[in-house]
Amino acid sequence: MLSMKNISKVYQTEKVQTHALRDFTLEVSEGEFIAVTGPSGSGKTTFLNIAGMLESFTSGDFILDGVNVGQLNDNQRADLRNQKIGFIFQGFNLIPDLNLFENVEVPLRYRGIKSAERKRRIMECLEQVGLASRAKHLPQQLSGGQQQRVAIARALAGEPRFLLADEPTGNLDSLMARQVMELLEEINRNGSTIVMVTHDPELARRAPRNIQVVDGQIADFTLYQHGGASVPRKSNTVAAVNPMSVEV
Amino acid sequence: MYKAMSEIKPIVNALKRSKVGAILLMIQIMITTAIVSNAAFIIYDRSTYLQQETGYPEDEILYFAITTFGEDIDLSQLFEETETTLREIPGVIDAAVIAALPLSGSGSASGFDTLPHDQHQNGDNRNVRAAYTTGDDHVLNTLGVKIAEGRDFRPEDIVVTNDPSMLAKVAIVSRAFAEEIFPDENAIGKTFYSGNTGVEIIGIVDTMKGPWLKDSRPNNVIIFPRVEARMYQNVAVRATAEDRASVRKSIEDKILAQYDKRVVINMRGMDEAKAGYNAADLLMLRMLVVLIVVLVMITALGIFGMTVFNINKRTRQIGTRRALGARKSAIVQYFLVENGLICLVGLFFGCIGAYYLGGMLLREYSLPALNNLYIVVTALSVLVVSLLSVLLPANRASNISPSIATRTI
Amino acid sequence: MFWHYIDLSWRSFKRTPMVTVLMVLAIAAGIGITMTSLSVYHMMAMDPMPHKSSQLFHPQLNARDDGDDWWTEDNLPHQMTYKDAMNLYRADIPRLKAPSMRTGFSVNLNSPDVKPFIESVRMTSRSFFSMFEFSFIHGAPWSQGQEESAAMVTVISRSMSETLFGQSDSVGENVYFDDNVFQIVGVYEDFDYHVKFYDLTNGAFNRAENAMIPITLIPPLKAQTWGNTNGWKFEEINSYQDMLNSEQAWLQFWVQLDTTEEEKEYREFLTNYLIEQESLGRFEREEVHFALRNLTQWMTYNRVVTEDNRILVSASFMFLTVCLANILGLLLGKFLRRVPEVGVRRALGANKRQVFLQHLVEVGLLGFIGGIIGIGIAQLGLWGVRATYSYYSAIATMDISMLLAAPAIAIGACVIAGIYPAWLVCRTNPAICLKTQ
Repeated sequence: MLSMKNISKVYQTEKVQTHALRDFTLEVSEGEFIAVTGPSGSGKTTFLNIAGMLESFTSGDFILDGVNVGQLNDNQRADLRNQKIGFIFQGFNLIPDLNLFENVEVPLRYRGIKSAERKRRIMECLEQVGLASRAKHLPQQLSGGQQQRVAIARALAGEPRFLLADEPTGNLDSLMARQVMELLEEINRNGSTIVMVTHDPELARRAPRNIQVVDGQIADFTLYQHGGASVPRKSNTVAAVNPMSVEV
Repeated sequence: MYKAMSEIKPIVNALKRSKVGAILLMIQIMITTAIVSNAAFIIYDRSTYLQQETGYPEDEILYFAITTFGEDIDLSQLFEETETTLREIPGVIDAAVIAALPLSGSGSASGFDTLPHDQHQNGDNRNVRAAYTTGDDHVLNTLGVKIAEGRDFRPEDIVVTNDPSMLAKVAIVSRAFAEEIFPDENAIGKTFYSGNTGVEIIGIVDTMKGPWLKDSRPNNVIIFPRVEARMYQNVAVRATAEDRASVRKSIEDKILAQYDKRVVINMRGMDEAKAGYNAADLLMLRMLVVLIVVLVMITALGIFGMTVFNINKRTRQIGTRRALGARKSAIVQYFLVENGLICLVGLFFGCIGAYYLGGMLLREYSLPALNNLYIVVTALSVLVVSLLSVLLPANRASNISPSIATRTI
Repeated sequence: MFWHYIDLSWRSFKRTPMVTVLMVLAIAAGIGITMTSLSVYHMMAMDPMPHKSSQLFHPQLNARDDGDDWWTEDNLPHQMTYKDAMNLYRADIPRLKAPSMRTGFSVNLNSPDVKPFIESVRMTSRSFFSMFEFSFIHGAPWSQGQEESAAMVTVISRSMSETLFGQSDSVGENVYFDDNVFQIVGVYEDFDYHVKFYDLTNGAFNRAENAMIPITLIPPLKAQTWGNTNGWKFEEINSYQDMLNSEQAWLQFWVQLDTTEEEKEYREFLTNYLIEQESLGRFEREEVHFALRNLTQWMTYNRVVTEDNRILVSASFMFLTVCLANILGLLLGKFLRRVPEVGVRRALGANKRQVFLQHLVEVGLLGFIGGIIGIGIAQLGLWGVRATYSYYSAIATMDISMLLAAPAIAIGACVIAGIYPAWLVCRTNPAICLKTQ
């Protein structure tokens, strides 16, 4: 389904080389729900950017649903993103000028789906997140939890194979966070593969599979298990010097 | 001043980061300076031209033409009587039949010589271009010009004829013509030649312009004392400025009452005739005024918009500066200095542009050379306008609360 | 997708009304000013007879001594003497030729019903009407026989006919020009061109004459020109016959040459004519000197497009550039503030082209609105031109091509200004919508 092998990402600025990911290797199978955790700056956002094809990578192999992403150009990546991936952002990222219906419509428009079909799908997705009655409302008329549900509906509208969630509950209070989490679990039960980045250990524990990113690599799982804590021991020291910088 | 200077380095750095905006502003200021200084100069040139002294009381004089189609009448006699009729209208100062109307754009001009035509090959002849017209002993009074030297026409000077070969033997001329044909000597009593006919200058008028203000010799005018009544005859009437409108209304009726196989046409004041001749210049002047007013407004709005944009972009930064103790005046100063720098660079190129544009206009078109003072004054004005356009948004920026720095957006 | 982009643009305008109004005003002012001067330029420069302007020629002859200068750039007079015009007209060369001259009369019906009025009248040959494509609605031009016998016949325009007789068909009626009775043999449709191109010497934007009479009437009527007369040497002119024999130039002359072969032949003819005239002792020259310009060249040579207008057109295009720089700056600000939204769109699968197009459509719409308002401003400007200078009444208007050009220029200009900002936003890295949090 998703296969990353030895992925590296180096940010090159004038004087500094930053290794955001190093030899990152991960396999995700169909129908999985994976929580990615890790300290701030550990590279988990970079991982998500690459998994969502928002960013290119420096080296390694990345196969998404049988397609070798490394060989795609920007337009092909945009199309693939549009067809296979649904995004859920921490800040919801609804477009303030558009009402809920139109927000959900955005990815469908880019896919060139006919108006009647668009309408059917949008209403279906809004129904699923329980906001069909408010389709004509603007995002700012909604609470944060509702906005995130709209964002989820938008992610689902394109019937993607993959949902990528970036701290989906980060801006929500605990009650709303739980609702959103339950929604994601339901979506997962319906067959979608979900990769969720979070720093909330409680949330991460609810996911069937956990991955810890430290220093741009998947951390040694034994550490996690033996430490018995949700935060690996190593992270305290690493976090301070991350992202790893090397003077060139 | 020192404080202002100390601001420059960070400002230059900030400008480097938002290059495009700064360059756009420079381009606007540059083009504005180049256009406005040249346009202002053309406006000045045209308005000087339009307001020049012509020598005539333009608001007192009326022009019209009479075309007579009846052939059962003695024209000379008729016009003699017509003049008398006109002079009797209340408010009329004087009236005269005249060949060409000054300032009207239509008339006759020729070259006049210091030697008769037959002697050109054996001497140093000087040929001087002048516009000429003819009229009787009322013509000077009707045109409202005064003899400065010599004398006015007397009734016995007037040649009344239908024979084109019968020319006048004396003339009254403008000073410009007198000085050009007889430099360094008093022209009164001197004789100049039209072909082989000698004409004695009996009087000189200081200023009277010819029919074409754009002629190569607009100031050279000769008036011959000669009346040759024509089927199409120009007439000039002078009335007091207050009475001119009422005189104008009564003229046609009086003339047709006297004899009706004729038509009065083209009735207009001398000022209107001149305005008609100069309408294209007035048009150019007005278009350029509109152009530079709107241009300066657009540029000012552009500077205004750009400053507002910059301030919005830096709201947090400004709040932080305020929180760190920057005074309001320092904030205003920051934006003024920033804009002043951009403006100065724009003005520098603008002045060069204006200079070359002026040179190009001089080469390609019949415009006089641009006075560099216009560039300097324009540049200073643009600087002032630009700083004023910054002041308003900058003042608003200085009122940004320092607390914004601690607030998350 | 296009209408969706239009919809998005409209929302974007509503979201920042101040900036939008500012940009629309800037482009409207730029277009308004540019179209005002450009419309006048367009009317001045337009080829009045595109299908024929390269076949109508206006010869100029230099029949003067060497060393005698005209004020013209090539030292050639604009007009012709009576004898040259008539010689060329009667020359045995089988082409359409038209000498012509503007005069004028007091027009009346010798009855108290119609008040006499002054009209300019053109004296010309019957070929004039086919050369300049006058269309006759009643009757026809005078016949060759009538022209040769200097018959007192005239053709008048529709509006003149309507003024005099209250109807367009007045063929067979009599009209008085001064005290002379003329029989009307034809009525032509009003000459509806912005430029009176057949007589540029006496005011290119003057109204066309409303009546024409045979050129052969010049001597019997002792017709006076209502135009310029230029002489170059001293001549005793004491009678009308002296004037006709003189070297004074006061007639226009046109010849129609349909092929380059005919043109070449005519040039040879003119050369021979001038050699012959010199041998008659009219002038002394080392080389014959003449010009044969076609209608478009003749218009350029006569500076139908005025210098002032050229200056104004270039100044208004520079003005437009300032407006564009202005809009570009504002667009940069506006679009860059939208980067987060664009990031989301990119993440949701919009490709660069789609984002780029969306923004170009937005600036295009801006240009369209500005262009429409600009037409309004230009109409106001042209009204001002007409009010200031009535001589420009016929040319200070926008024809259909200018009405279409206004929004086209506006949209084009805005799109040019919008390319850079649109390119900047379409390069938005979609990853920012994750990172900024």
